[in-house]
Amino acid sequence: MHNILGDRKTIFWLMAPGLLLFSLMIFVPIAVSFYYSLTNWAGVGDYGMVGFRNYADIFASDPVFWKSLLNSVLLGLGFVLVQHPFAILVAMLVQYGGRWEKLLRVCIFIPAIISTFVTTKLWTSIFDTQFGLLNRLLDQVGLTSWQQDWLGQPHWAIACIVFVCMWQGFGYAFLLYYAGVKGVPKDLYEAAMLDGASGAQLNRRIVLPLLAPVLRVNVVLAIVSAFKQMETVYLMTSGGPANSTQFLSTYLYSKAFRESLYGYGNAISVLLVVICLAVTLVLNRALKREVGEYG
Amino acid sequence: MSSPNTRDSVPGAKMSGGPRLLFVVLMTALVVAELFPLIWLFDFSLLGSGDFFGSDILKWPNPPKWQNYVDAFRNAHIPLLFGNSLLVSAVSIVLIVACSVAMGYALTRMHWRWRKPTLALVMAGMIIPIYSTLLPNFMVFNETGLLNSYFALILPYAAFQIPISMYIITGFLETVPRALEEAAVIDGMTVPGMIFKIILPLLKPAIATVAVMAFLSCWNEFIMAVTYIDKDALRTLPFAVVYFMGQYSSNYGAQFAVLAIISIPSILIYTLFTDQINRGITAGAVKG
Repeated sequence: MHNILGDRKTIFWLMAPGLLLFSLMIFVPIAVSFYYSLTNWAGVGDYGMVGFRNYADIFASDPVFWKSLLNSVLLGLGFVLVQHPFAILVAMLVQYGGRWEKLLRVCIFIPAIISTFVTTKLWTSIFDTQFGLLNRLLDQVGLTSWQQDWLGQPHWAIACIVFVCMWQGFGYAFLLYYAGVKGVPKDLYEAAMLDGASGAQLNRRIVLPLLAPVLRVNVVLAIVSAFKQMETVYLMTSGGPANSTQFLSTYLYSKAFRESLYGYGNAISVLLVVICLAVTLVLNRALKREVGEYG
Repeated sequence: MSSPNTRDSVPGAKMSGGPRLLFVVLMTALVVAELFPLIWLFDFSLLGSGDFFGSDILKWPNPPKWQNYVDAFRNAHIPLLFGNSLLVSAVSIVLIVACSVAMGYALTRMHWRWRKPTLALVMAGMIIPIYSTLLPNFMVFNETGLLNSYFALILPYAAFQIPISMYIITGFLETVPRALEEAAVIDGMTVPGMIFKIILPLLKPAIATVAVMAFLSCWNEFIMAVTYIDKDALRTLPFAVVYFMGQYSSNYGAQFAVLAIISIPSILIYTLFTDQINRGITAGAVKG
């Protein structure tokens, strides 16, 4: 009876278009990238094979590469240590909103749905030195001395980027934990209530431990997304001032398209893939052991 | 939302006095922080450029300067760019839905040896950063003449959206009982027949989720759109602001109007399809 469900021709035609698209757009480019990463191509004209010299240069003598990695780690820490705890707290609190619950959910999520392109342009205007909202606000509350060229100074620029990324992604983080909180069975609540648990106890002792598997997935996703980050940085600072806000993807972009170092840019590109895969594997392993008992 | 245990509110939870006040203050602060920049955007999109340098944080537009939107439409070629974005998104969505339903069916319902490794391979695609293909695809598209065509956007958009879409489809298929299909097999129905007559109607909610998520990701993508396309007639919507920054860099009101025009479809889609979007985003993470 199940013969037709094992028919090879049918399986082939169902899988082939998608897999072809998938390989042509994802695996082939990575292979092409690896090939060019072994060359000294400048984008036009002839080029020679240089073996792994690009990689050696990156590891041995490219402070900007390490700076990019550091920035990604910084953003990842921002997500995990600031954004996510806050998102968990809000997810627990929102369900006490009664008839406002739905509206709260929508308001919190809206920034996440709008194009990064729009929100980043918006924040760039807010940090603007001429008509920016932030400097104007500081002026009005009498803190004129706090006014800054926010995106023009290295340490403020990276702080602004981390902040904007956390702002934009907050809705996602919130929604994931909110779904987790909502998934806690009603009987557990009722039993705890009968035993006289307070709201705070209930959330800390029952809801929080039950969120552990959700937490694990979300932490992995958040950290990987910090390494993948490109659009916000590209639009806010393009990696400047003086390469202080480069992330791997903006760095490979500027190496290839601004400095015409195609081979070098491709080497960074390959490393980006390797790093994302490695980070995912390592985190999954490490966190599985830690919270395994609940999963 | 995604589980049968969904509750409307916490049983027996009532706050009063101090905690209630603290709750209201915290939530209000949060909502203001999340929404204020957008309110600022819509407010200043209706003001004259001179108002940008005043000292007001918000200013009641009196009268509202709708001329900004007129300027935006005319000078930033909004209708053309809007149409282009719509076309790219629509074709991508069709491709994504077709591929993920076909693959999802073969990977959950059919029996073959390489099923599990193939599934793992497609899922690994979720981890690969989309912009790692930026340089190689630029070169490949340049060689093959795909640069400056919509395929340069549609193909990568579709490919990178397939893993998550398939994840949503397979997750949904696993909850659909096989009895109908088993009966259909006995009646002599073929696999394509089964997909069209039985599976597609059942999958409607999952397909809606996949389509909405795909729309948002295609509509909002920016880097590839400006890297692979540099012909005016083919540009997509994000480029509208670039037009303004070049030619009318001092017309801030109209720039803000362009930003507002770009974000309105996203907000509309979100309010219309809130449940589908919530389902799509929480599909992967909650199950763990």
